[in-house]
Amino acid sequence: MRMLDVRPRSIAPAAAAASNRVRLDAVSKSFTVRGTHTPALQETTLAIEDGAFVSLVGPSGCGKSTVLNLVAGLLTPSSGVLTYDGAPLSGLNRRVGYMTQKDTLLPWRTTEANIAAPLELACRAVPRREVAERVRAMIDAVGLRGFEKHFPAELSGGMRKRVALARTLIYEPETLLMDEPFGALDAQLKLLMHDQLQRLTQARRMTVLFVTHDLAEAIALSDRVLVMSARPGRIRRAQDIGLPRPRDVFRVRFSPEFGRLHEALWEELKDEVAKGTDV
Amino acid sequence: MSSAATSLDATGAPPSPRAWLRTPWGLAVVRIAILAAILAAWEAASGRIVSKYWASSPSAIAARLWSWIRDGSLWPHLSSTLIEMGAGYAIGCVAGVGVGLLLGFLPRAGRIAMPFLAGLYCLPKVALAPLFVILLGIDLASKIALVAISVFFIILYSTLDGIRDVDRDLVQAMRLMGATRREVSLRVLIPGCLRWVFTGMRIAIRYAFTAAVLGEVIAANRGVGYLVEAYAGQYNSTGVFAAVLVLVVCSLGLSEVLTRWEASAAEKRGGM
Repeated sequence: MRMLDVRPRSIAPAAAAASNRVRLDAVSKSFTVRGTHTPALQETTLAIEDGAFVSLVGPSGCGKSTVLNLVAGLLTPSSGVLTYDGAPLSGLNRRVGYMTQKDTLLPWRTTEANIAAPLELACRAVPRREVAERVRAMIDAVGLRGFEKHFPAELSGGMRKRVALARTLIYEPETLLMDEPFGALDAQLKLLMHDQLQRLTQARRMTVLFVTHDLAEAIALSDRVLVMSARPGRIRRAQDIGLPRPRDVFRVRFSPEFGRLHEALWEELKDEVAKGTDV
Repeated sequence: MSSAATSLDATGAPPSPRAWLRTPWGLAVVRIAILAAILAAWEAASGRIVSKYWASSPSAIAARLWSWIRDGSLWPHLSSTLIEMGAGYAIGCVAGVGVGLLLGFLPRAGRIAMPFLAGLYCLPKVALAPLFVILLGIDLASKIALVAISVFFIILYSTLDGIRDVDRDLVQAMRLMGATRREVSLRVLIPGCLRWVFTGMRIAIRYAFTAAVLGEVIAANRGVGYLVEAYAGQYNSTGVFAAVLVLVVCSLGLSEVLTRWEASAAEKRGGM
Protein backbone atom coordinates (compact mmCIF):
# COMPACT_ATOMS: atom_id res chain seq x y z
CA MET A 1 0.00 0.00 0.00
CA ARG A 2 2.84 2.29 0.85
CA MET A 3 4.12 1.65 -2.62
CA LEU A 4 1.17 3.41 -4.19
CA ASP A 5 2.30 6.75 -2.82
CA VAL A 6 4.85 6.90 -5.58
CA ARG A 7 2.15 7.56 -8.13
CA PRO A 8 1.84 11.38 -8.08
CA ARG A 9 4.82 11.48 -10.43
CA SER A 10 2.40 10.91 -13.29
CA ILE A 11 1.38 14.60 -13.03
CA ALA A 12 4.74 15.43 -14.65
CA PRO A 13 4.52 17.28 -18.03
CA ALA A 14 5.44 14.33 -20.18
CA ALA A 15 2.41 12.56 -18.79
CA ALA A 16 2.40 9.75 -21.33
CA ALA A 17 6.01 8.86 -20.64
CA ALA A 18 5.81 9.29 -16.89
CA SER A 19 2.93 6.88 -16.41
CA ASN A 20 5.19 4.22 -17.79
CA ARG A 21 6.81 2.42 -14.94
CA VAL A 22 9.40 0.83 -17.20
CA ARG A 23 10.40 2.02 -20.63
CA LEU A 24 12.96 0.62 -23.04
CA ASP A 25 13.91 2.93 -25.93
CA ALA A 26 15.79 1.08 -28.65
CA VAL A 27 17.60 -0.91 -25.97
CA SER A 28 19.94 -3.65 -27.13
CA LYS A 29 22.32 -5.88 -25.27
CA SER A 30 25.23 -7.96 -26.48
CA PHE A 31 27.92 -9.84 -24.66
CA THR A 32 31.53 -10.31 -25.59
CA VAL A 33 32.94 -13.47 -24.12
CA ARG A 34 36.56 -14.34 -24.96
CA GLY A 35 36.47 -12.33 -28.15
CA THR A 36 33.15 -13.73 -29.38
CA HIS A 37 30.48 -11.11 -29.79
CA THR A 38 27.01 -12.46 -29.02
CA PRO A 39 23.95 -10.27 -29.46
CA ALA A 40 21.38 -11.26 -26.83
CA LEU A 41 18.71 -8.65 -27.41
CA GLN A 42 18.08 -6.70 -30.62
CA GLU A 43 17.00 -3.08 -30.43
CA THR A 44 13.81 -3.27 -28.46
CA THR A 45 11.30 -0.61 -27.56
CA LEU A 46 8.62 -1.31 -25.04
CA ALA A 47 6.74 0.41 -22.30
CA ILE A 48 5.10 -1.06 -19.25
CA GLU A 49 2.45 1.10 -17.65
CA ASP A 50 2.19 1.55 -13.94
CA GLY A 51 0.19 -1.36 -12.52
CA ALA A 52 0.29 -3.48 -15.67
CA PHE A 53 0.97 -7.20 -15.77
CA VAL A 54 3.10 -7.93 -18.83
CA SER A 55 4.40 -11.35 -19.85
CA LEU A 56 7.33 -12.17 -22.08
CA VAL A 57 7.10 -15.48 -23.92
CA GLY A 58 9.52 -16.91 -26.43
CA PRO A 59 11.93 -19.73 -27.14
CA SER A 60 14.87 -20.51 -24.85
CA GLY A 61 17.76 -18.12 -25.12
CA CYS A 62 15.74 -15.35 -26.77
CA GLY A 63 16.77 -12.72 -24.26
CA LYS A 64 13.77 -12.77 -21.94
CA SER A 65 15.94 -12.99 -18.86
CA THR A 66 18.21 -10.31 -20.31
CA VAL A 67 15.27 -7.91 -20.30
CA LEU A 68 14.64 -8.63 -16.61
CA ASN A 69 18.31 -8.24 -15.74
CA LEU A 70 18.34 -4.89 -17.53
CA VAL A 71 15.28 -3.64 -15.65
CA ALA A 72 16.80 -4.82 -12.35
CA GLY A 73 19.95 -2.88 -13.16
CA LEU A 74 22.11 -5.99 -13.05
CA LEU A 75 23.04 -5.34 -16.69
CA THR A 76 23.44 -2.05 -18.52
CA PRO A 77 22.16 -1.65 -22.08
CA SER A 78 24.73 -1.83 -24.88
CA SER A 79 22.73 0.85 -26.65
CA GLY A 80 19.50 2.72 -26.10
CA VAL A 81 17.96 4.13 -22.94
CA LEU A 82 16.14 2.34 -20.16
CA THR A 83 14.06 4.53 -17.90
CA TYR A 84 12.36 3.58 -14.69
CA ASP A 85 9.61 5.89 -13.52
CA GLY A 86 10.76 8.42 -16.07
CA ALA A 87 14.40 8.54 -14.97
CA PRO A 88 17.29 6.71 -16.66
CA LEU A 89 18.38 3.75 -14.57
CA SER A 90 21.86 3.71 -13.11
CA GLY A 91 23.10 0.97 -10.82
CA LEU A 92 20.93 -1.55 -9.05
CA ASN A 93 17.22 -0.92 -9.19
CA ARG A 94 16.17 -1.22 -5.54
CA ARG A 95 12.53 -0.58 -6.31
CA VAL A 96 11.98 -3.92 -8.00
CA GLY A 97 11.55 -7.33 -6.45
CA TYR A 98 13.32 -9.86 -8.61
CA MET A 99 12.57 -13.55 -8.42
CA THR A 100 15.35 -15.08 -10.47
CA GLN A 101 15.34 -18.50 -12.04
CA LYS A 102 18.25 -19.44 -9.84
CA ASP A 103 17.61 -20.22 -6.24
CA THR A 104 18.99 -17.44 -4.04
CA LEU A 105 17.65 -18.54 -0.66
CA LEU A 106 20.10 -18.27 2.21
CA PRO A 107 21.04 -21.92 2.92
CA TRP A 108 21.60 -21.34 6.63
CA ARG A 109 18.17 -19.84 7.20
CA THR A 110 14.93 -21.74 7.72
CA THR A 111 11.88 -21.18 5.53
CA GLU A 112 10.42 -18.56 7.85
CA ALA A 113 13.73 -16.79 8.38
CA ASN A 114 14.32 -16.65 4.64
CA ILE A 115 10.88 -15.16 4.03
CA ALA A 116 11.42 -12.65 6.83
CA ALA A 117 14.79 -11.50 5.45
CA PRO A 118 13.58 -8.50 3.40
CA LEU A 119 11.46 -7.20 6.29
CA GLU A 120 14.44 -7.24 8.67
CA LEU A 121 16.41 -4.77 6.59
CA ALA A 122 16.88 -1.26 7.94
CA CYS A 123 15.21 0.29 4.89
CA ARG A 124 11.91 -1.28 5.97
CA ALA A 125 12.37 -1.71 9.73
CA VAL A 126 9.16 -3.65 10.27
CA PRO A 127 8.48 -4.30 13.98
CA ARG A 128 9.28 -7.84 14.99
CA ARG A 129 5.72 -8.80 15.88
CA GLU A 130 4.44 -7.62 12.53
CA VAL A 131 7.21 -9.56 10.76
CA ALA A 132 6.09 -12.77 12.46
CA GLU A 133 2.47 -12.14 11.50
CA ARG A 134 3.20 -11.33 7.90
CA VAL A 135 5.53 -14.31 7.55
CA ARG A 136 2.87 -16.60 8.91
CA ALA A 137 0.25 -15.26 6.53
CA MET A 138 2.66 -15.57 3.60
CA ILE A 139 3.59 -19.15 4.51
CA ASP A 140 -0.10 -20.04 4.45
CA ALA A 141 -0.57 -18.25 1.15
CA VAL A 142 2.13 -20.30 -0.59
CA GLY A 143 1.10 -23.54 1.12
CA LEU A 144 4.24 -24.13 3.15
CA ARG A 145 2.67 -24.63 6.55
CA GLY A 146 4.52 -27.36 8.42
CA PHE A 147 7.79 -26.46 6.71
CA GLU A 148 8.53 -23.24 8.62
CA LYS A 149 11.56 -24.69 10.36
CA HIS A 150 13.03 -26.52 7.38
CA PHE A 151 16.24 -25.44 5.72
CA PRO A 152 16.31 -24.98 1.93
CA ALA A 153 18.37 -28.17 1.51
CA GLU A 154 15.54 -30.08 3.16
CA LEU A 155 12.89 -28.81 0.74
CA SER A 156 11.98 -29.96 -2.75
CA GLY A 157 12.69 -27.77 -5.77
CA GLY A 158 9.06 -26.66 -6.00
CA MET A 159 8.98 -25.77 -2.31
CA ARG A 160 12.13 -23.70 -2.62
CA LYS A 161 10.50 -21.81 -5.48
CA ARG A 162 7.55 -21.06 -3.26
CA VAL A 163 9.80 -19.83 -0.47
CA ALA A 164 11.51 -17.54 -2.99
CA LEU A 165 8.12 -16.33 -4.20
CA ALA A 166 6.97 -15.63 -0.65
CA ARG A 167 10.19 -13.77 0.07
CA THR A 168 9.67 -11.59 -3.00
CA LEU A 169 6.00 -10.90 -2.39
CA ILE A 170 6.21 -10.22 1.34
CA TYR A 171 7.77 -6.81 0.99
CA GLU A 172 5.38 -5.76 -1.74
CA PRO A 173 7.84 -4.17 -4.14
CA GLU A 174 6.21 -1.71 -6.54
CA THR A 175 7.49 -3.73 -9.50
CA LEU A 176 7.88 -7.48 -9.67
CA LEU A 177 10.28 -9.15 -12.06
CA MET A 178 9.66 -12.86 -12.27
CA ASP A 179 11.72 -15.31 -14.28
CA GLU A 180 9.77 -18.52 -14.77
CA PRO A 181 8.68 -18.56 -11.15
CA PHE A 182 6.30 -21.50 -11.47
CA GLY A 183 8.25 -23.72 -13.85
CA ALA A 184 9.03 -26.33 -11.21
CA LEU A 185 5.51 -26.60 -9.79
CA ASP A 186 2.90 -29.24 -10.53
CA ALA A 187 -0.18 -28.18 -12.48
CA GLN A 188 -2.59 -27.84 -9.53
CA LEU A 189 -0.19 -25.90 -7.37
CA LYS A 190 0.61 -23.68 -10.31
CA LEU A 191 -3.04 -22.68 -10.59
CA LEU A 192 -3.21 -21.92 -6.87
CA MET A 193 -0.10 -19.76 -7.19
CA HIS A 194 -1.60 -17.95 -10.18
CA ASP A 195 -4.62 -17.13 -8.10
CA GLN A 196 -2.48 -15.85 -5.23
CA LEU A 197 -0.28 -13.81 -7.50
CA GLN A 198 -3.22 -12.23 -9.30
CA ARG A 199 -4.91 -11.28 -6.07
CA LEU A 200 -1.81 -9.79 -4.55
CA THR A 201 -0.68 -7.84 -7.58
CA GLN A 202 -4.19 -6.51 -8.19
CA ALA A 203 -4.72 -5.51 -4.56
CA ARG A 204 -1.36 -3.75 -4.36
CA ARG A 205 -1.45 -2.46 -7.92
CA MET A 206 2.00 -3.89 -8.55
CA THR A 207 3.63 -3.65 -11.94
CA VAL A 208 4.74 -7.08 -13.10
CA LEU A 209 7.12 -8.22 -15.78
CA PHE A 210 6.73 -11.95 -16.04
CA VAL A 211 8.88 -14.33 -18.07
CA THR A 212 7.49 -17.76 -18.88
CA HIS A 213 7.52 -20.62 -21.36
CA ASP A 214 3.91 -21.38 -20.64
CA LEU A 215 1.66 -19.48 -23.03
CA ALA A 216 -1.56 -20.36 -21.17
CA GLU A 217 -0.07 -19.05 -17.94
CA ALA A 218 0.93 -15.82 -19.67
CA ILE A 219 -2.56 -15.24 -21.09
CA ALA A 220 -4.35 -16.11 -17.86
CA LEU A 221 -2.33 -13.65 -15.80
CA SER A 222 -1.43 -10.78 -18.11
CA ASP A 223 -2.78 -7.51 -19.42
CA ARG A 224 -0.39 -7.86 -22.32
CA VAL A 225 1.69 -10.70 -23.75
CA LEU A 226 4.87 -9.98 -25.69
CA VAL A 227 6.01 -12.74 -28.02
CA MET A 228 9.75 -12.66 -28.57
CA SER A 229 11.66 -14.04 -31.53
CA ALA A 230 14.51 -16.52 -31.37
CA ARG A 231 18.00 -15.20 -30.58
CA PRO A 232 18.96 -12.45 -30.88
CA GLY A 233 15.62 -11.56 -29.37
CA ARG A 234 13.23 -8.86 -30.43
CA ILE A 235 9.55 -8.36 -29.78
CA ARG A 236 7.65 -10.01 -32.56
CA ARG A 237 4.15 -9.27 -31.38
CA ALA A 238 2.46 -7.44 -28.54
CA GLN A 239 -1.00 -8.75 -27.75
CA ASP A 240 -3.34 -7.02 -25.33
CA ILE A 241 -5.36 -9.46 -23.26
CA GLY A 242 -8.84 -8.10 -22.83
CA LEU A 243 -10.12 -10.74 -20.45
CA PRO A 244 -12.02 -8.96 -17.69
CA ARG A 245 -10.56 -8.68 -14.19
CA PRO A 246 -10.71 -10.04 -11.62
CA ARG A 247 -10.22 -13.31 -13.42
CA ASP A 248 -10.98 -16.76 -12.21
CA VAL A 249 -7.65 -18.32 -13.17
CA PHE A 250 -9.22 -21.78 -12.98
CA ARG A 251 -12.10 -21.10 -15.38
CA VAL A 252 -10.70 -18.41 -17.62
CA ARG A 253 -8.98 -21.07 -19.70
CA PHE A 254 -12.28 -22.43 -20.92
CA SER A 255 -13.63 -19.11 -22.22
CA PRO A 256 -13.83 -18.76 -26.01
CA GLU A 257 -11.83 -15.52 -25.87
CA PHE A 258 -8.98 -17.34 -24.12
CA GLY A 259 -8.99 -20.03 -26.80
CA ARG A 260 -8.88 -17.44 -29.55
CA LEU A 261 -5.95 -15.59 -27.95
CA HIS A 262 -4.08 -18.81 -27.34
CA GLU A 263 -4.55 -19.84 -30.94
CA ALA A 264 -3.33 -16.51 -32.31
CA LEU A 265 -0.30 -16.27 -30.05
CA TRP A 266 0.66 -19.88 -30.58
CA GLU A 267 0.76 -19.20 -34.33
CA GLU A 268 3.36 -16.51 -33.63
CA LEU A 269 5.28 -18.54 -31.13
CA LYS A 270 5.54 -21.88 -32.85
CA ASP A 271 7.76 -20.69 -35.72
CA GLU A 272 10.09 -19.09 -33.22
CA VAL A 273 10.22 -22.16 -31.04
CA ALA A 274 11.14 -24.22 -34.10
CA LYS A 275 13.87 -21.69 -34.97
CA GLY A 276 15.03 -21.52 -31.38
CA THR A 277 15.59 -25.23 -31.05
CA ASP A 278 18.15 -25.51 -33.80
CA VAL A 279 20.27 -22.71 -32.37
CA MET B 1 47.92 -63.33 23.53
CA SER B 2 49.74 -65.12 20.73
CA SER B 3 46.57 -67.08 20.00
CA ALA B 4 44.66 -63.79 19.62
CA ALA B 5 47.34 -62.58 17.21
CA THR B 6 47.03 -65.71 15.05
CA SER B 7 43.26 -65.43 14.96
CA LEU B 8 43.77 -61.95 13.48
CA ASP B 9 45.75 -63.45 10.60
CA ALA B 10 42.76 -65.60 9.79
CA THR B 11 40.32 -62.67 9.29
CA GLY B 12 40.79 -62.96 5.54
CA ALA B 13 39.08 -66.38 5.63
CA PRO B 14 35.45 -66.73 4.50
CA PRO B 15 32.76 -65.50 6.96
CA SER B 16 32.91 -67.75 9.97
CA PRO B 17 32.47 -67.67 13.76
CA ARG B 18 35.01 -64.80 13.75
CA ALA B 19 32.20 -62.23 13.51
CA TRP B 20 32.95 -61.23 17.12
CA LEU B 21 36.13 -59.60 15.80
CA ARG B 22 34.01 -56.92 14.18
CA THR B 23 32.25 -55.92 17.38
CA PRO B 24 33.73 -52.95 19.31
CA TRP B 25 34.89 -55.24 22.06
CA GLY B 26 36.50 -57.66 19.67
CA LEU B 27 38.30 -54.77 18.00
CA ALA B 28 39.58 -53.51 21.35
CA VAL B 29 40.84 -56.98 22.24
CA VAL B 30 42.72 -57.24 18.95
CA ARG B 31 44.25 -53.80 19.35
CA ILE B 32 45.38 -54.47 22.90
CA ALA B 33 46.81 -57.82 21.80
CA ILE B 34 48.87 -56.16 19.07
CA LEU B 35 50.11 -53.46 21.41
CA ALA B 36 51.03 -56.05 24.02
CA ALA B 37 52.88 -58.10 21.43
CA ILE B 38 54.92 -55.09 20.31
CA LEU B 39 55.74 -54.09 23.88
CA ALA B 40 56.70 -57.64 24.76
CA ALA B 41 58.98 -57.88 21.73
CA TRP B 42 60.56 -54.55 22.66
CA GLU B 43 61.05 -55.63 26.27
CA ALA B 44 62.61 -58.92 25.14
CA ALA B 45 64.92 -57.33 22.57
CA SER B 46 66.09 -54.55 24.84
CA GLY B 47 69.39 -55.50 26.51
CA ARG B 48 69.75 -58.57 24.31
CA ILE B 49 69.56 -57.50 20.65
CA VAL B 50 69.75 -53.72 21.15
CA SER B 51 71.53 -51.98 23.99
CA LYS B 52 69.28 -50.64 26.77
CA TYR B 53 71.23 -47.42 26.44
CA TRP B 54 69.65 -46.67 23.03
CA ALA B 55 66.37 -48.49 23.13
CA SER B 56 65.45 -48.27 26.82
CA SER B 57 62.59 -50.66 27.61
CA PRO B 58 58.82 -50.41 28.12
CA SER B 59 59.11 -51.29 31.78
CA ALA B 60 61.79 -48.61 32.41
CA ILE B 61 59.73 -46.01 30.50
CA ALA B 62 56.59 -46.86 32.45
CA ALA B 63 58.50 -46.65 35.72
CA ARG B 64 59.93 -43.24 34.73
CA LEU B 65 56.54 -41.92 33.72
CA TRP B 66 55.00 -43.18 36.95
CA SER B 67 57.67 -41.49 39.02
CA TRP B 68 57.03 -38.20 37.17
CA ILE B 69 53.36 -38.47 37.88
CA ARG B 70 53.87 -39.49 41.50
CA ASP B 71 56.31 -36.74 42.44
CA GLY B 72 54.34 -34.18 40.39
CA SER B 73 57.29 -33.13 38.29
CA LEU B 74 55.36 -33.72 35.04
CA TRP B 75 52.59 -31.17 35.73
CA PRO B 76 54.50 -27.91 35.29
CA HIS B 77 55.74 -29.17 31.93
CA LEU B 78 52.42 -30.51 30.74
CA SER B 79 50.54 -27.43 31.90
CA SER B 80 52.91 -25.00 30.19
CA THR B 81 52.60 -26.89 26.91
CA LEU B 82 48.82 -26.79 27.18
CA ILE B 83 48.79 -23.11 28.20
CA GLU B 84 51.00 -22.15 25.27
CA MET B 85 48.82 -24.10 22.94
CA GLY B 86 45.54 -22.74 24.32
CA ALA B 87 46.58 -19.10 24.59
CA GLY B 88 48.29 -19.07 21.19
CA TYR B 89 45.30 -20.79 19.62
CA ALA B 90 42.84 -18.29 21.05
CA ILE B 91 44.94 -15.30 19.96
CA GLY B 92 45.48 -16.76 16.49
CA CYS B 93 41.78 -17.50 16.00
CA VAL B 94 40.57 -14.08 17.06
CA ALA B 95 43.21 -12.26 15.01
CA GLY B 96 42.72 -14.54 12.00
CA VAL B 97 38.96 -14.11 11.86
CA GLY B 98 39.25 -10.38 12.52
CA VAL B 99 41.84 -9.67 9.84
CA GLY B 100 40.16 -12.10 7.45
CA LEU B 101 36.80 -10.36 7.72
CA LEU B 102 38.41 -6.95 7.41
CA LEU B 103 40.29 -7.88 4.25
CA GLY B 104 37.27 -9.73 2.90
CA PHE B 105 34.99 -6.72 3.36
CA LEU B 106 37.52 -4.20 2.07
CA PRO B 107 38.66 -5.79 -1.18
CA ARG B 108 41.04 -2.93 -1.97
CA ALA B 109 42.87 -3.26 1.34
CA GLY B 110 42.89 -6.99 0.70
CA ARG B 111 44.59 -6.56 -2.66
CA ILE B 112 47.29 -4.37 -1.10
CA ALA B 113 47.95 -6.68 1.84
CA MET B 114 47.79 -10.02 0.03
CA PRO B 115 51.41 -10.30 -1.26
CA PHE B 116 52.78 -9.56 2.21
CA LEU B 117 50.51 -12.12 3.80
CA ALA B 118 51.21 -14.71 1.11
CA GLY B 119 54.95 -14.37 1.72
CA LEU B 120 54.51 -14.93 5.44
CA TYR B 121 51.99 -17.70 4.92
CA CYS B 122 54.39 -19.92 3.00
CA LEU B 123 57.23 -19.28 5.41
CA PRO B 124 57.75 -22.29 7.71
CA LYS B 125 56.81 -20.77 11.04
CA VAL B 126 59.52 -22.76 12.87
CA ALA B 127 62.04 -20.43 11.23
CA LEU B 128 60.56 -17.65 13.35
CA ALA B 129 61.02 -19.51 16.63
CA PRO B 130 64.57 -18.24 17.33
CA LEU B 131 63.42 -14.71 16.53
CA PHE B 132 60.58 -14.97 19.03
CA VAL B 133 63.02 -16.22 21.66
CA ILE B 134 65.19 -13.13 21.09
CA LEU B 135 62.19 -10.79 21.18
CA LEU B 136 60.04 -12.42 23.85
CA GLY B 137 62.46 -14.47 25.91
CA ILE B 138 62.67 -18.15 26.65
CA ASP B 139 59.43 -18.33 28.65
CA LEU B 140 55.89 -19.02 27.55
CA ALA B 141 55.47 -15.81 25.52
CA SER B 142 57.75 -16.86 22.66
CA LYS B 143 55.91 -20.19 22.32
CA ILE B 144 52.51 -18.52 22.49
CA ALA B 145 53.62 -16.21 19.68
CA LEU B 146 54.75 -19.15 17.55
CA VAL B 147 51.46 -20.98 18.07
CA ALA B 148 49.46 -17.81 17.46
CA ILE B 149 51.15 -17.02 14.17
CA SER B 150 50.78 -20.59 12.90
CA VAL B 151 47.08 -20.58 13.78
CA PHE B 152 46.55 -17.02 12.54
CA PHE B 153 47.43 -17.79 8.93
CA ILE B 154 45.32 -20.92 8.74
CA ILE B 155 42.28 -19.09 10.09
CA LEU B 156 42.96 -16.00 7.98
CA TYR B 157 43.03 -17.97 4.77
CA SER B 158 40.02 -20.09 5.59
CA THR B 159 38.05 -16.92 6.45
CA LEU B 160 39.09 -15.28 3.17
CA ASP B 161 38.26 -18.42 1.20
CA GLY B 162 34.93 -18.58 2.98
CA ILE B 163 34.02 -15.02 2.02
CA ARG B 164 35.13 -15.62 -1.55
CA ASP B 165 33.07 -18.80 -1.65
CA VAL B 166 29.80 -17.05 -0.74
CA ASP B 167 27.52 -17.19 -3.76
CA ARG B 168 27.57 -13.71 -5.38
CA ASP B 169 23.96 -14.22 -6.44
CA LEU B 170 22.94 -14.30 -2.78
CA VAL B 171 24.70 -10.99 -2.27
CA GLN B 172 23.00 -9.54 -5.34
CA ALA B 173 19.59 -10.78 -4.24
CA MET B 174 20.00 -9.11 -0.85
CA ARG B 175 21.21 -5.89 -2.49
CA LEU B 176 18.12 -5.84 -4.70
CA MET B 177 15.94 -6.24 -1.62
CA GLY B 178 17.51 -3.04 -0.37
CA ALA B 179 20.26 -4.31 1.93
CA THR B 180 23.11 -1.91 2.66
CA ARG B 181 26.72 -3.06 2.42
CA ARG B 182 26.77 -3.51 6.17
CA GLU B 183 23.64 -5.63 6.08
CA VAL B 184 25.05 -7.73 3.27
CA SER B 185 28.17 -8.31 5.37
CA LEU B 186 26.28 -9.21 8.51
CA ARG B 187 23.53 -11.28 6.95
CA VAL B 188 25.21 -12.95 4.00
CA LEU B 189 29.00 -12.82 4.12
CA ILE B 190 29.58 -13.65 7.78
CA PRO B 191 27.08 -16.51 8.07
CA GLY B 192 28.20 -17.72 4.66
CA CYS B 193 31.85 -18.04 5.64
CA LEU B 194 31.28 -19.54 9.10
CA ARG B 195 31.56 -23.11 7.91
CA TRP B 196 34.98 -22.36 6.45
CA VAL B 197 36.07 -20.62 9.63
CA PHE B 198 35.09 -23.64 11.72
CA THR B 199 36.88 -25.98 9.35
CA GLY B 200 39.98 -23.81 9.67
CA MET B 201 39.66 -23.84 13.45
CA ARG B 202 39.53 -27.62 13.52
CA ILE B 203 42.61 -27.95 11.33
CA ALA B 204 44.46 -25.29 13.32
CA ILE B 205 44.26 -27.22 16.60
CA ARG B 206 46.71 -29.78 15.24
CA TYR B 207 49.09 -27.06 14.10
CA ALA B 208 48.83 -25.35 17.47
CA PHE B 209 49.94 -28.52 19.24
CA THR B 210 52.85 -29.05 16.83
CA ALA B 211 53.97 -25.41 17.08
CA ALA B 212 53.92 -25.45 20.89
CA VAL B 213 56.04 -28.59 21.11
CA LEU B 214 58.41 -27.42 18.35
CA GLY B 215 58.90 -24.10 20.09
CA GLU B 216 59.82 -25.94 23.28
CA VAL B 217 62.21 -28.28 21.53
CA ILE B 218 64.03 -25.30 19.99
CA ALA B 219 64.46 -23.21 23.12
CA ALA B 220 62.67 -23.45 26.43
CA ASN B 221 63.06 -24.12 30.10
CA ARG B 222 59.71 -25.83 30.58
CA GLY B 223 57.21 -27.90 28.67
CA VAL B 224 56.92 -31.44 27.37
CA GLY B 225 58.89 -30.52 24.25
CA TYR B 226 61.59 -29.19 26.54
CA LEU B 227 61.65 -32.55 28.37
CA VAL B 228 62.22 -34.38 25.08
CA GLU B 229 65.04 -32.04 24.15
CA ALA B 230 66.64 -32.00 27.61
CA TYR B 231 66.73 -35.79 27.98
CA ALA B 232 67.98 -36.20 24.43
CA GLY B 233 70.82 -33.84 25.31
CA GLN B 234 71.73 -36.18 28.15
CA TYR B 235 71.44 -39.28 25.94
CA ASN B 236 68.76 -40.47 28.33
CA SER B 237 66.57 -42.55 26.04
CA THR B 238 64.15 -43.57 28.80
CA GLY B 239 63.38 -39.91 29.55
CA VAL B 240 62.93 -39.09 25.86
CA PHE B 241 60.55 -42.01 25.33
CA ALA B 242 58.58 -41.13 28.46
CA ALA B 243 58.17 -37.52 27.31
CA VAL B 244 57.18 -38.64 23.82
CA LEU B 245 54.64 -40.98 25.37
CA VAL B 246 53.08 -38.00 27.15
CA LEU B 247 52.79 -36.26 23.76
CA VAL B 248 51.25 -39.36 22.19
CA VAL B 249 48.62 -39.47 24.92
CA CYS B 250 47.92 -35.75 24.43
CA SER B 251 47.55 -36.07 20.69
CA LEU B 252 45.30 -39.13 21.06
CA GLY B 253 43.07 -37.15 23.42
CA LEU B 254 43.10 -34.19 21.03
CA SER B 255 42.22 -36.24 18.00
CA GLU B 256 39.42 -37.95 19.92
CA VAL B 257 37.94 -34.56 20.81
CA LEU B 258 38.35 -33.38 17.21
CA THR B 259 36.72 -36.47 15.74
CA ARG B 260 33.70 -35.98 17.95
CA TRP B 261 33.52 -32.29 17.13
CA GLU B 262 33.71 -33.01 13.42
CA ALA B 263 31.06 -35.72 13.65
CA SER B 264 28.65 -33.46 15.51
CA ALA B 265 29.37 -30.57 13.12
CA ALA B 266 28.66 -32.80 10.12
CA GLU B 267 25.42 -33.89 11.75
CA LYS B 268 24.30 -30.32 12.42
CA ARG B 269 25.12 -29.26 8.90
CA GLY B 270 22.69 -31.89 7.63
CA GLY B 271 22.26 -31.86 3.87
CA MET B 272 23.97 -28.52 3.39
